[in-house]
Amino acid sequence: MTLAELKEGERARIVRVSGEEAVKRHLGALGFVAGTVVRVVGESYGNMILAVHESRIAVNDATARDIDVDAV
Amino acid sequence: MANSLKIALAGNPNSGKTTLFNALTGSEQYVGNWPGVTVEKKDGILSGHKDVIIQDLPGIYSLSPYSIEEKVSRRFLVEEGPDAILNIVDGTNIERNLYFSTQLAELGLPMVMAVNMMDVVKKNGDKIDFGKIAKALRCEVVGISALKNEGGMEAAEKVVEMAKKAVVEKGPGKLPDVPHVFSGSVEHAIAHIEESIQGKVPLRSIRWYAIKVFERDREIIKKLEIGVGEMKHIEEHIRDCEKELGDDAESIITSQRYDFIKRLMDKSLALNESRKGKATLSDKIDKFVTHRILALPIFILSLCVMWFLAVAENGPGTVLTDWANDGFLADGWHVPFTTHECRAEGKYKGMEFEDAQGEFAKQDASKSAWEEAYLEKINEGKSDDDKVEEMPEEIDEKVAATIVAKDVFVEDEETGEPLAKECDCENCAKKRESGEECEGCGCGCGEPDLWDVDFAAYKAAKEFEEPDLKQFGVWVPGLGALITDALDKAGVSDTVKSLVVDGAWGGVATVLGFVPVIFIVFLFLAFLEDCGYMARVAFIMDRLLRRFGLSGKSFIPMLVGKGCGVPAVMAARAIENERARRMTVILATFVPCGAKTVIIAMFSALFFREQWYVAAMMDVVGIAIIVLGGIALKKTRFFAGEASSFVLELPAYHMPTVSGVWHHTWNRLKGYVLKSGLIIFPACVVLWFVMHFDWSLNLLADEEIEKSILHDLGSWIAWMFEPLGFGSWQGAAASVSAEIAKEQATATLGLVAANMDGATTGSHIQALFASLSDFPKLAALSFMMFNLFVPPCMVAIAVTFREMGSQKWGWFAVGFQLFVGYVLALSVYRIGVLVAGGGFGIWTALAFALDAFCLWAIFRPARKERA
Repeated sequence: MTLAELKEGERARIVRVSGEEAVKRHLGALGFVAGTVVRVVGESYGNMILAVHESRIAVNDATARDIDVDAV
Repeated sequence: MANSLKIALAGNPNSGKTTLFNALTGSEQYVGNWPGVTVEKKDGILSGHKDVIIQDLPGIYSLSPYSIEEKVSRRFLVEEGPDAILNIVDGTNIERNLYFSTQLAELGLPMVMAVNMMDVVKKNGDKIDFGKIAKALRCEVVGISALKNEGGMEAAEKVVEMAKKAVVEKGPGKLPDVPHVFSGSVEHAIAHIEESIQGKVPLRSIRWYAIKVFERDREIIKKLEIGVGEMKHIEEHIRDCEKELGDDAESIITSQRYDFIKRLMDKSLALNESRKGKATLSDKIDKFVTHRILALPIFILSLCVMWFLAVAENGPGTVLTDWANDGFLADGWHVPFTTHECRAEGKYKGMEFEDAQGEFAKQDASKSAWEEAYLEKINEGKSDDDKVEEMPEEIDEKVAATIVAKDVFVEDEETGEPLAKECDCENCAKKRESGEECEGCGCGCGEPDLWDVDFAAYKAAKEFEEPDLKQFGVWVPGLGALITDALDKAGVSDTVKSLVVDGAWGGVATVLGFVPVIFIVFLFLAFLEDCGYMARVAFIMDRLLRRFGLSGKSFIPMLVGKGCGVPAVMAARAIENERARRMTVILATFVPCGAKTVIIAMFSALFFREQWYVAAMMDVVGIAIIVLGGIALKKTRFFAGEASSFVLELPAYHMPTVSGVWHHTWNRLKGYVLKSGLIIFPACVVLWFVMHFDWSLNLLADEEIEKSILHDLGSWIAWMFEPLGFGSWQGAAASVSAEIAKEQATATLGLVAANMDGATTGSHIQALFASLSDFPKLAALSFMMFNLFVPPCMVAIAVTFREMGSQKWGWFAVGFQLFVGYVLALSVYRIGVLVAGGGFGIWTALAFALDAFCLWAIFRPARKERA
């Protein structure tokens, strides 16, 4: 499943990040790599605020759909 | 400075880098741009160390080329090479921050890691083992708190010490001791790459280069000029790793870096478990601020606050602007909160200025009324040719004694009716305060104030001179007055005086006059940015702006544009997507800036007193252009395609520091102030010249402006403005001079209209538009909208060209803006005239045709996305 399917408060482990090369690289630098656990802090019209490590990263729905996750 | 040590300050965004930089360098900072690109570069001298320069790199997450900032930073670090690195790390988010640190460590430069926000780390009950991190990353680690100014200086001194030692030790090629963070097979491949690129790169950074080659970083591979055969060999090694680990090379590096950090954190970081996974205060605030329904109202509310502070009538922005324009930059001002009693001996001694003005108005009315009556008397029975029109020097005492002017009054400025009486009785004073009509106490209050003037009263009235503001209260002379005084004392000719006062200073002063409004806008935005709210705005607005081909990050430039277009265009750099960035640059200046607000204010006062909504509508029109322009541009082949991703870190909310907000505000404001010196100043001198000289270079008096060079220049291009309803040399000259600085439109209009009939500058301008068109209001509206929505002032145009990155794109932007401004003015005027009954003409047809084209551009089906 993808990150976009998670609901507020849910946690998941990243399996893979796909999409545009540069964006993928940027997401990687921010901690979106396979194995990292993320938590959905907030959600609004499909756009999400995610807790990754100790930071909060906002992504839009298209980006959330590019991140495959497993439930924890 | 050639021998000074260069220390690069590098770290993630929101790690407290700017705070530390300001603390380390104090006021000794030099802001410039990196050569060739427009990313801000800040250098500063380390306090107490004249020979050490701190170089503030942009806040970045990685040394991979994602944004312009990352490209610039890594080029600087690996090519120019600082003597050492001071890496600032957010201690409350150390895992993520170390990702960047591991890359910095691979550069092989002496490095000190300053772990910031240690006060918060301690308060949270977390423990970080600096020793283990230092050992793993082969660098020094110190804890600091930039906000509380603790430890920063010690960290800087430590890095200086290391840099000095390294300079001494600098020998020929020594393999640096850098951390090895990857798994066996990857390390094996990297070792092979190192072998093949040896000699091509500085030895100390060889590992960094080798990793980049492993990642297939195109820029680096091209730079190293690795041979085809060699590359094939390297490629084999990389593919082996990819096969073994089941991922692409770049992802392998990224995730193994994080694995390394994870293992390091397991040993060196003890998190207070009770906090884990709990919603922070920031999360709770975000529940409201990014709420699907509440988000927009909260944002609009904050905009209203900004609008009130900056441009609302009687808000702090307008009050300060008035003070700057009329006081500080012009004649002078009263020290506030003091009484304004008259100091000078004479009729007004002890009076407040307003009372003195009232008294003078009365006496002046008495004087003119009596003189009129006197002239009427002595002209009695004379033929028109013999009539005395002006008051003779000698007054016939006998006749004068018989003359009494009846029912003299002071006109109300707005209505022309006599002013009402105001008595001092208690009853009336109370009623006046509560705003009620004052009647019934029999004192005559509220009735027209009429009186009679006899010869004695006339003689008394003649003694009154207009009260001089400078004689009231504590008066501080303004810069304009000081300059005039200085020139008078120096005894320069009138020409030079006019050049300096009207030409050069006048231009610079108009620009500086808007500093208060712009300052308030920037101060407010700096506060919103520094406290963390602006990142949320970008997030909230992304959903909406995406539809117009923009990004959520486009909103910040547009907000900055309310203050000044120049920093607005520059603020667009933060947008990574090139299409969205270009579109933002083209559209951001449609928001009426501080200077355009002046045009709006003047035209509202002169032409649209009853149409109060016209002023507010201009902001709405600006936003509408951005929305519709965005939609239309997105459908062209230049901007087609989806900017699909949005990724932005939301920093935790925090109270901004005074010095942080100040630095932020000043950095933006500085550009505006500098432009007044560098561009407006010479431009105004030129403008003054063409306004005051004819082609034979004779100096002209103010009334002779129709002989001026400006008149001819304006006449040549006036035909262009004919369809817009102001096709005269005056309208053309004002519109062209508005390109120097938008507010110049109002100043030039005042000067070129000076020969029109009317008592005040305002009525000159009204008369000018009346002479231009049968529908002066529509012509005025057209003139105003033309000047608001054509390309911004020349400084903003110059910045647009620079930010667009090429001449072609620069012209595209200016062409688009010109088209929008022209079509808008044409449509408003010609269709307005048609509706008002002025008939249909060729220009009306053109207006409809262009509007139809615009509608087509907006509503035509979108292009199919390129695969």
